[in-house]
Amino acid sequence: MDELELLKKDWNKRGDSYPKLSYNDIYKMILKKSSSIVKWIFILSMLEFVFWLGISFLLKDSKNLKSFDRLDGSYLLIPLTVIGYVVLAYFFFLFYRNYRKISVTDSAKQLMENILKTRRTVKQYVAFNLFYMVFSSLAVLFIEFDQNQDLIAKVQEASANGHLLMFYAKVILTFTVVFGLVILILLGFYWLVYGILLKKLNRNYHELKKLEI
Amino acid sequence: MDKELEHSFVKLLEEHQNIVHKVCRLYTNNQDAHNDLFQEITIQLWKAYPKFRGDAKFSTWMYRVGLNTAITLYRKSKRRIDTQEFDAVQFKIKSEEYDDTEEQQLKLLYNAVYQLNDIEKALVFLFLEDKNYKEISETLGISEVNARVKMNRVKTKLKTILNP
Repeated sequence: MDELELLKKDWNKRGDSYPKLSYNDIYKMILKKSSSIVKWIFILSMLEFVFWLGISFLLKDSKNLKSFDRLDGSYLLIPLTVIGYVVLAYFFFLFYRNYRKISVTDSAKQLMENILKTRRTVKQYVAFNLFYMVFSSLAVLFIEFDQNQDLIAKVQEASANGHLLMFYAKVILTFTVVFGLVILILLGFYWLVYGILLKKLNRNYHELKKLEI
Repeated sequence: MDKELEHSFVKLLEEHQNIVHKVCRLYTNNQDAHNDLFQEITIQLWKAYPKFRGDAKFSTWMYRVGLNTAITLYRKSKRRIDTQEFDAVQFKIKSEEYDDTEEQQLKLLYNAVYQLNDIEKALVFLFLEDKNYKEISETLGISEVNARVKMNRVKTKLKTILNP
């Protein structure tokens, strides 16, 4: 006899051996909160949106930027701010739309795809923010070097001493190290949190995808 | 209205609860994990219930939500395979119902099934529940041909586990 047929025979025989929950037991269960990965993804995504919004507000109020306001940088900063908020709104809309599409009544593959798509939106938003952060900082640096009298004096001094190359090298190195560290910390965070959260989903999705090849 | 909905849902689930127990049985290895997954599936069923239109059978609909929760949504993935513990807790079968060889063979078979991955278990589960390939393919989101191919591979894998 085929192994699975034997198993099926036994499987059906065991029908009565399962625990029997009462009406009240089940009723109590529907009042409890879910701890599904979709809920966690929603919470984490919200935190990410709030985090990046918080960063942009913090930077706006920072001392450096207040002194920067005295310089004429609005021609660059106003478009950058507008772009930042438009992109935030766009990603938030995409995230919300994808999140709403997640339905436990879809097929297993479709459900996994929708969850991964929602995640991808937030990932793209974070990637955009990193790019945006680097680009804005470069813009600020450019304006500072162009208009900040103290900085211009320093450049001239370095130039007079023949250390101009060294001076620029230091600026570039600091910039690279700071952003390199920020990106590394974020990647580490992603690897850890989402790696754990989505490990099972990715494994099972891969298993279903493999069938198509 | 909500109370009515709650009542009809709980009644239906009470009646069909075996389906959820069976999913839990396949995807967990002890009573605590079983209860935990049962609860999560119940919550997911309840959340989706307002959209349940009744054009599908409640039980058919439950298979999909139950499997999706076990395969994708359920967060606790540390479910160590320990069928002996599981059998001892939940499925004490009266030994007189089986002859020794068959019982032994079944035990080995259940052990082999627990060694399958989540998707393979889903296929076996739907097969055991007498679902045809069309239903299997729709539940998992793969083509019917692929469902058949995969099922044959699962059978071969089970044979290999049983006769290494």
